[in-house]
Amino acid sequence: MFCIEVFTKNEFKDSRGEHVLSDIISLDFNCVNKVEYCSLYLIDGKLFLKEVKLIASCLLSDKITESYSITKYDTENPSYLFNNNVVTSKAVIDVLYKKGVTDTVSASVIKAVKDLGINKNIEVKTGHRYYLYGKLSKTILDGIACKLLSNTLIQEYKVNGLK
Amino acid sequence: MKSVTIVEILNLSDKQLIDLSKKKVLSLSLAEMKVVQRYFKKLKRNPTDVEIETIAQTWSEHCKHKTLTGIIEYIQTDNGKRTKKIYNNLLKETIFRATVELNKKWCLSVFKDNAGIIDFDSKNGVAFKVETHNHPCALEPYGGAATGVGGVIRDILGVGLGAKPLANTDVFCLGNPNTKASKVPKGMHHPRRIAKGVVSGVRDYGNRMGIPTVNGAVYFDDGYMANPLVYCGTMGIIPKSKIEKKVSPGDLILVVGGKTGRDGIHGATFSSINLDQSSDVSAVQIGNPIVEKKVLDAMLNARDLNLSRAVTDCGAGGLSSAIGELGEKIGAIVYLDKVPLKYSGLCPWEIWVSEAQERMVFAVPPKNKEKIVEVFKKENVEAVFVGQFTKGKKLILKYGNDIVANMDMPFLHDGLPKPTRKAKCNIKEEKLQKAFTLTSLELSKVLKNILADLNVCSREWIIRQYDHEVLGQTIVKPLQGNNIEVSGPGDAAVIFPQSIIKGTKKGIVLSNGLNPSYGKINTYKMASSAIEEALRNAVCVGGNIEKLAILDNFCWGNPNEPEILGSLVRSANACYDMSKAFDVPFISGKDSLHNEYFIDGKKFSIPPALLISAVGVIENITNTITMPFKNAGNKIYVLGITRNELGGSVISKIKNIKNGVVPNVYPKESRSIMKGIYKAIGKGLIEACHDVSEGGLAVAISEMSFAAGKGAQINVGSIKTASNMSAAEILFSESNGRFIVEVAPHNENKLKKVFKGLSVSEIGYITDNDFILFEIQKEKIRFKEKLTNLLNTWKSTIEF
Repeated sequence: MFCIEVFTKNEFKDSRGEHVLSDIISLDFNCVNKVEYCSLYLIDGKLFLKEVKLIASCLLSDKITESYSITKYDTENPSYLFNNNVVTSKAVIDVLYKKGVTDTVSASVIKAVKDLGINKNIEVKTGHRYYLYGKLSKTILDGIACKLLSNTLIQEYKVNGLK
Repeated sequence: MKSVTIVEILNLSDKQLIDLSKKKVLSLSLAEMKVVQRYFKKLKRNPTDVEIETIAQTWSEHCKHKTLTGIIEYIQTDNGKRTKKIYNNLLKETIFRATVELNKKWCLSVFKDNAGIIDFDSKNGVAFKVETHNHPCALEPYGGAATGVGGVIRDILGVGLGAKPLANTDVFCLGNPNTKASKVPKGMHHPRRIAKGVVSGVRDYGNRMGIPTVNGAVYFDDGYMANPLVYCGTMGIIPKSKIEKKVSPGDLILVVGGKTGRDGIHGATFSSINLDQSSDVSAVQIGNPIVEKKVLDAMLNARDLNLSRAVTDCGAGGLSSAIGELGEKIGAIVYLDKVPLKYSGLCPWEIWVSEAQERMVFAVPPKNKEKIVEVFKKENVEAVFVGQFTKGKKLILKYGNDIVANMDMPFLHDGLPKPTRKAKCNIKEEKLQKAFTLTSLELSKVLKNILADLNVCSREWIIRQYDHEVLGQTIVKPLQGNNIEVSGPGDAAVIFPQSIIKGTKKGIVLSNGLNPSYGKINTYKMASSAIEEALRNAVCVGGNIEKLAILDNFCWGNPNEPEILGSLVRSANACYDMSKAFDVPFISGKDSLHNEYFIDGKKFSIPPALLISAVGVIENITNTITMPFKNAGNKIYVLGITRNELGGSVISKIKNIKNGVVPNVYPKESRSIMKGIYKAIGKGLIEACHDVSEGGLAVAISEMSFAAGKGAQINVGSIKTASNMSAAEILFSESNGRFIVEVAPHNENKLKKVFKGLSVSEIGYITDNDFILFEIQKEKIRFKEKLTNLLNTWKSTIEF
C-alpha cells in the first residue's frame, strides 16, 4: 500500500499545524511546542511508482504551496516502540476513518485517478498525519489524539514515537 | 445474501416488550409496543425485523412529533390559582390554530410539506425550512452540522416538486468555548472543539453547494456543553405551478443520488433518546455536498420538464419515511435488492431505514421512465427505480423473491396510539431587582464587559468562514460597516433573487430571534421575545410586518418530566398569542425533544430554547437599509419605551443582579412601531435602523457607531421610560419593542408624523468624532468611549 503524504512547503505557513498547536495548548497540553500537518492518502492497487507520483503531483498536491512524499505504508509496525515510560521529542499521530465509515474524499480520488487516465482498480483511504514536537509521552499523545485530533466514534488513530 | 429474521413479539410480556424496544433501539413505549403486538396477533404471525424497524421509524418522535400532537394534561398554578386544561394536540391547538385563524391568502403551503411556502410574486413562492441536528452534532460536530445543512437543503429540494435553494441560515447553542479542559465531562467533546466542528461543517457543506449562509445566531451557555443545539435553515424559490404534489397508483419509485450504507441507522429513533457516553455509533452520518449539488442541478431540470408527480427527501428514517410518506394514502411495493449500496452485506432492514445522505425519492409516471433517468445521467447522478406505488393501501417490501414486509398503510400512519403526558407549571412572580446606580466609570466598564460578553460579542470569526456572497444576490449582508476591518452586526439578511426571477424588484428578508436566558425564568416571555426579536430584526432592514411569516423550532428537555413539558406548553401558548397579536402566521416548524444527558449517572437537561425564524417579501429592494450610522449631524431617535426589565439580561449576569423582570412583549404598541418603520423606510425617512436586544441601548448605539466609524452624543435622560429608572437601568435594560433610528434633520418632522401617538425619543446626534459621549444630568453621568476601544473589545472575544 502506497502512502502519499502531502505537506506545506517550508517557505509557506502551515496554518493547519499552527491552529492544531493553538488548540492543543488551549487544552492545557503545554508540553507540545510545534505541530506539522500533512494530508494522508493510502492507495492500494497494482500501481507503478510513476503512476503514484502522477497522482501525488497532479491530483493531490498544490504544486506552488505543497510538496509530497511517497512511502510504503506499514499498518503493523511502529517506527519506534513506545510505552508509557518513554518520553520522546518527536512523535507522529495518524488519524484514519474506521472501516465502513463513508470516506467521501476517497470516492472523489478514485474517480479523479480514472480521469487522469489510470484505469486500474484501486482502493483509497484518506486521513491526517500530525508531527508533534516537545516533551511527549504516550499518555499525552493519546490524550491529544482522543480529545482533539480524532473522533473515536468514526476514526481510529495511531501514535508513534520518532527518533 | 443477507435476509430477514422473525422477531418474536406475539407471546412477550409487558416487560419483554419494553426490553425488545430498548434492545433494538426502537424508542417505542409499552403502549406502542402493545399496539404493535395486537396488530400482529390479528395477522396471526410475528413481524419481520424489517416490519418492526419500519414501525419504529414511522412512529418515531422525529417523524410523528408524538409529544406535541399527543394528549397533554396541563395544570397551571398562578398566584395560588390552579387551572387545568387538556390539550388533545398542542400543535394544532396553539401554533397551527393561529395560522388557520389568520388565514393569510399569501401563505401558499403551511405545515403539510417539507417546508412552508409564502407568496413571492404572481408566478413564484418562497419556501423556508429550519431543522435541528442536535444529537448527531454532539457525537460528531463536523459531520453532524454538515449533514444538518445537507438535510435542510434537501427539504427545500423536496418541497412541492422541488424549490431552488437560495440561502442558508445557521444558529447554534453551545457550551462556553473557554471552559477549562478539566471541567469538561468525561467522554464529551470540549465546547471549543464542538464550536469549531459545527462551524466547519456548516461552512464546508454550504460553501461547496454554492449556497450562501446569510443569517444566524450563536448563544453560549454551559447547559449546552454536552448537548449542543444546531439549527440549520434553507430558503428557496419555487414556481407556483410546482407546489402541489400528487402520487398516483402506478407511478414508479425512483431513488436518486447517494448510495445506501450503514451510516445514520436509527437516527430517527435515536433522536428520542437521551445522550450518554455509550451513544450509538451508527447514528453518525457523513455528508457529501458534491453529490448533493449534482442532484440539485439535475432534479431542477427534471422538475422543469414535468417528469415527476412528487418528490421528497430521504431524511430521518431514510427510504422507510420517504416512500412511506409518499405512498401513505395509496400503497407501495419496493424491491430492496435494487437499492444501490455503498458496500455489500447490508440486511434488508438496514437498507430500508439507513439515513445515508444525499438521496431523494421521486414518483415518476411510467411514460417518463427513460427521460428522467437520462436527465440524471447527464449530471452523472445515479437514479434507480426500486418499486412502484400501488392501489391496495399496503406497504410491501421484497428482497429477492422474499416478501420481507407486508403491512397496512393505515396502521403504519394512523395506528400510533396517542400518548397522554402530564404537564405542570407554577408561574413565579418576577420581582424587580433592588434599584441600582452606577458611576460614569462603572458604566464605562460595564459597557465594555457587555460588548465582550460571549452572547453579545462579534461573530465575525464564524461569519467570515461562510460564503455569504455566492450567487451574488445577498444585498443586505450579515456584517455591515465602512470596510472589512470595521463591521457591525446586521439585523437581518436580504436576498435579491434576480438570477432566478429576471426583472424582479422584490427581495426576501431572513431573520431570527432566540433568547434562552429568558427561558430559564419564564418560557412564555422567552417565546414572545424570540418572536418579537425575529420580527424586529426583519423590520430593521426594510421588512414589512404585514408580509412576514415565522417558523418555530423547539429544543427542549425530556417531555416525560411534567415541569419541562409545562414550560413547553407555556411557550406554545405564547406562540399562539403573539402570532395572533402581531398578525403573523407560522408556516412551518420542527421540535427536538429529549435534549438531556447523563454525567456520572446524574441527569441534566438543556435550558429550553425556541428559535423563531422570520421570512418575508420586500416589495422593492431599493427600500432596504443597514444598521451603521451614515452622516454626522443626523439625529438619533429611540422608537419604543424602555422599561425596567433586567431579568435574564446580560448585565444581570455580569453584575450578578438578583431578581429582575424578564422583558415582556407589548404587541399592539410594537406592531404599530414596526408598521411605522416600514412606511418611513419606504419614504426614505430613515438612514439607519438597529434593533435593541441583548445588552440594551448602550450596546446597540455602540454597534451603530463603531460599524460606521462615526461618533455620537447621547442624552440618556431624554430616553422615554415607563417608570423612574437609573442611567444604568436605562442603558442596559433589554425591553422589547425598541429600535434606534438615524434621521436627517430635514426629515424629523415627517418622521414624527409617521409615529404620531407612539413612543418616540430624540436622544442625540451623530458626530465626526472618534468617540461616543453618554450624558445624563440628573445623575451627573458623563462618560466617553473611543470607538476603536469599543470595536476591539467587541471583536476580540471569539478568536479560536
